[in-house]
Amino acid sequence: MLVLPGCGSWSWGRRSAGPAGLGGPSNREDPALSGNGRLLASVVERGGRSTVLLQEQPSGRELPLPQLMRFQPHRSPALSWNGRYLAVVVQQGSRHLAVVLDRATGRVHRLPLPGDLEVERLSLAPDGRRLAVEVLRQGQARVELFDLAPLLEPDLPATAVSGGGAGGGLR
Amino acid sequence: MSRAPILAGLIAGLPLLLGGCLGPMPVPLGALDRRLEAIGSSHAPALAGRWLAVIGGRGGREQVVLVDLERQMPVPLPGLNRPDAQPLSVGVDASGERLAVVRQLEGRTELVLYRRGLMALEPVAMEPAGVPRRISLRADGRELAVEVSRGGVWQVDLIEVP
Repeated sequence: MLVLPGCGSWSWGRRSAGPAGLGGPSNREDPALSGNGRLLASVVERGGRSTVLLQEQPSGRELPLPQLMRFQPHRSPALSWNGRYLAVVVQQGSRHLAVVLDRATGRVHRLPLPGDLEVERLSLAPDGRRLAVEVLRQGQARVELFDLAPLLEPDLPATAVSGGGAGGGLR
Repeated sequence: MSRAPILAGLIAGLPLLLGGCLGPMPVPLGALDRRLEAIGSSHAPALAGRWLAVIGGRGGREQVVLVDLERQMPVPLPGLNRPDAQPLSVGVDASGERLAVVRQLEGRTELVLYRRGLMALEPVAMEPAGVPRRISLRADGRELAVEVSRGGVWQVDLIEVP
């Protein structure tokens, strides 16, 4: 049974995700949790460029993302259930586009959108089957949906996975 | 021997060659996009399970909209939206039961957790005090990651949801 405490008496467990960098306070923005809560992605400044930072929770151990290092600035990261997929808006030349890193294979799926649409923000469905992107059409923000099922294997909660599991082989 | 099949093959393969490093294009979900168009402008998407939460509206008046992607229609959110509130960020869990919303109301920015089945809205205080902006609700609904401004620095708080 769910008990709702009264207003102002919250005793929810809470903690800071920790400092974003060494030496002095620095910004950490755009958080995204994997469905199972084991990974946290956020955006920090690295060498003056917005860079996605992927960390195990609760240890805070950083997981390197060498595949994404050429495509800063990064923004709007999103993680699938077990963190197999990391979707993020990257910059390539003068264009912003969505990419999905498959951490099980190391492959980066670039997702150019029809009509050369520029992506502002994105959300990846936890199972990896759909992508929602915020784009600008005639100056108006608009959310559009895309089917990723032909591109990505599903990343399902552990209880729904038989055999080796979609989250297997992750660093 | 006819060259036509070879030519046809080359033409058919051209997009593949040009897009070789890009891989297949994502497929637009047109029917759902048309549903979203009916909302007007929409931004700040959050996907989980069969649910898509967005902030959308017309004429500058925006509210949180939760779309059931299987039935392709928005569902009611009684007690969540109010005309004097401007939502900034929204998250939804995979069951569509919990929504986390950052909104501006009466000059303040607040984080609230909404339970759809109960139609209950609960404020979530920032401790230490800070101004929340973007949020991510874990797909299982058990934890929130919140971007919080404190003393001019953006930080990330992790809050367990009871």
